[in-house]
Amino acid sequence: MKLRFFLLAASLAALVSGSARAQVAYDQIVHSSRQPENWVTYGGDYSGSRYSQLQQVNTTNVSRLAPAWVFQTQLAGKFETTPLVINGIMYFTGPDDHGYALDARTGRAIWRYERNLPAKIPACCGRVNRGFAALGDLLFMATLDAHVVALDAKTGNLVWDVEAADYKLGYTFTVAPLAVKDKVIVGISGGEYGIRGFIDAYDAATGKRAWRFYTVPGPHEAGNETWAGDSWSRGGAPAWVTGTFDPNLNLIYWGTGNPAPSDDVSERAGDNLYSNSVVALDADTGKLKWHFQFTPADAHDWDATEVPVLVDLNLDGRARKLLAFANRNGFFYLLDRATGKFLLAKPYSRVTWASEVGPDGRPRLLPAAAESKDGTVVCPAAAGATNWMSPSFSTQTGLLYVSVREQCDLFVGIPQAFHPGHPYIGSVYFKPADERPWGALRALDPLTGQIKWEFKYVSAPWAGVLSTAGGLVFSGDMEGYFIAFDARLGKELWHFGTGAPVYTSPITYALDSKQYIVITSGGALFNFALVQ
Amino acid sequence: MADHRRRCPQPARIIVPLVALCAAIAVAGILPRRAASITEAQELKNPLAGNPEEIQEGAFLFRSNCALCHGLGARGGSRGPDLSRGVWNHGSSDADIFHTILSGIPGTLMPANDLTDLEAWEVVAYLRSLTRAPPIPIPGDRKAGEAIFQGDGNCWLCHMVNGKGGRVGPDLSSVGSRRSPDFLADKIRNPNKNLAPAQMEPQKEWPYDAEAVTVVTHDGKTVRGVLRNEDTFSIQIMDLQEDLHSYLKKDLRDVTHEGKSLMPPSDQEILSNVQLRDMVAYLDGLRGPTAEAKK
Repeated sequence: MKLRFFLLAASLAALVSGSARAQVAYDQIVHSSRQPENWVTYGGDYSGSRYSQLQQVNTTNVSRLAPAWVFQTQLAGKFETTPLVINGIMYFTGPDDHGYALDARTGRAIWRYERNLPAKIPACCGRVNRGFAALGDLLFMATLDAHVVALDAKTGNLVWDVEAADYKLGYTFTVAPLAVKDKVIVGISGGEYGIRGFIDAYDAATGKRAWRFYTVPGPHEAGNETWAGDSWSRGGAPAWVTGTFDPNLNLIYWGTGNPAPSDDVSERAGDNLYSNSVVALDADTGKLKWHFQFTPADAHDWDATEVPVLVDLNLDGRARKLLAFANRNGFFYLLDRATGKFLLAKPYSRVTWASEVGPDGRPRLLPAAAESKDGTVVCPAAAGATNWMSPSFSTQTGLLYVSVREQCDLFVGIPQAFHPGHPYIGSVYFKPADERPWGALRALDPLTGQIKWEFKYVSAPWAGVLSTAGGLVFSGDMEGYFIAFDARLGKELWHFGTGAPVYTSPITYALDSKQYIVITSGGALFNFALVQ
Repeated sequence: MADHRRRCPQPARIIVPLVALCAAIAVAGILPRRAASITEAQELKNPLAGNPEEIQEGAFLFRSNCALCHGLGARGGSRGPDLSRGVWNHGSSDADIFHTILSGIPGTLMPANDLTDLEAWEVVAYLRSLTRAPPIPIPGDRKAGEAIFQGDGNCWLCHMVNGKGGRVGPDLSSVGSRRSPDFLADKIRNPNKNLAPAQMEPQKEWPYDAEAVTVVTHDGKTVRGVLRNEDTFSIQIMDLQEDLHSYLKKDLRDVTHEGKSLMPPSDQEILSNVQLRDMVAYLDGLRGPTAEAKK
């Protein structure tokens, strides 16, 4: 009895001393590549590379990859999360703002969080959530009813809950937050509802809003003149995909979405800044340092809500801080991320709307893509050549891996009146007759935009990409396959049928000297490791 | 503002608490989220009927939510029936249409729609504004159409109707409730237009008409048929003898998607415009055994 008490006291003491240090310090996220056993932030690191130094699973043994365990959420809806793994615990979100902590060794649940959401939320594209951010002992979730909440990582208990905007007006969150220094950064969704987009920072400890950057400038602000009349006030430009961060430049990079209404330009003549752009914001103040707009005056719903991947490479003999961006409009872009200077753009999919991007960074429009009464077939489709699914940049191969959708749409413009909280789109899309959409995983050289290899899928994918020091690339397709490729050659080395479309990006972590690779599909989280 | 008050059920003995409840709901201005039962739904009438502003709202909602399958102006599309004819396959009352919009029709491509009750009523108001009453019957002689289908047309070789016919083409037992007459006529003349993708996914339909495909195995065997499913690594085919085949693509020397249907096109020399009209009348009348029972 005494001994048991002693052991209990000792283990309690251990728990207390364990809790004294924060689970994830800011420095740990900055140097996440030194701790490949954890996956501490949405993109794996602040650069959004989704590249892991783990190499236990490699090109020679990946054929022995098999499920280690599967966790069933038993939830319906698209499972679009990126799990975090911190010191042996896995944290992830599910549809309808569910949250979970699992023992990453066994898949046993430690706690579960479920938000009491309103039954009807104007959310265009599913009641999805794309994951937690972690900082200290807290996890952060941005919710469908446009709140930001902090949970205790050890219990799932609610620590704070702040409202960012009114969901009834079409403001929602689906984004995985980004924890930077002592702040939590989120971007709003709702480009289909005529919102005014913004990127917010909240104090991680208290939930107090630290700054807000409106992606549509108000009257008397620079850029407001790019909107006709009062169209800016319902201009959209949401910011619904997690951005990236350069600690040395102290800049946050965030993609912005379509101007509203997404396909009817008649009432919003002008470039519509800062829609369909990447914005570089001061991490402390939210002040705009520079912006680059990919698709001015967009009429095809081509949100620039793809991940701005930060790459450090030699260009013309000089070490450069670059930003690689495979855009929904079909062009791959390379920018100088210190200044926003445009360096190159090259199509990486079928593009029929622009002949090229000029030296000024603006697309040269083709007349065949202009709006017409009976509709116009344009490639890429409204869903884009790629979309929010994360690409991956391997420092081992120097290649950027992108999931590509080869698809066109017949766009038929239908002007639509604005009513707050109601869809404000101004168009319908149809699959053109005889059009056969397909897809591919493509490896791009970020310095030239050249396609080094591709692997074809029978349909257009929604899965993101992971690359590893094991010489591997992982992604998935709409028919439910989770697939491993040779990162240099693009050869398929292994696949597993998960039984439902893959709607997110894989991650990897290590525990007990064993590398695990994780993907979600359907309502399940699949975890793979090598069979001994 | 339209009257959104809920109709209260009338049974005498529980009338007091119910009246109180209904009064509370009415005071709070809450529109019922969804009719709880068929009986209750049958009592519902569109509170927005005939209001021009609400019809306009419904038109916008229809275009962004429904036109993809039912076509612009609700005149039918490649995946859904014409809703402008006043012919309703799943109940013709306001309440039936309201229900169909919000709950979908299991076993068809019609999904449950994430609209508020108010928005659903707006769509109902819009659809009613299109409808000419009484329904206009489509021209053509159904009996003559059936004779072609079951006789010289040889349609039955590939298509099943009410349990009789072939398996290579889609079952047409309820095609009249799923596709518009214009779509059916176009499909007979141009079967290769707008083929459905073959892959089956949770969010896609089982292919209603799939393209012809020919595969060649490494040992030189050729199999031609229609796609039943396909993914990145494998393919499933039904051949012309109605046998199912499954292959891993790595075991095949060649896979050719023919880009066309196995159904032969019928121009005016094969099928006159009068015969086409008869065929469409026959197919339009195929509304499945359940539709017959409902009448």
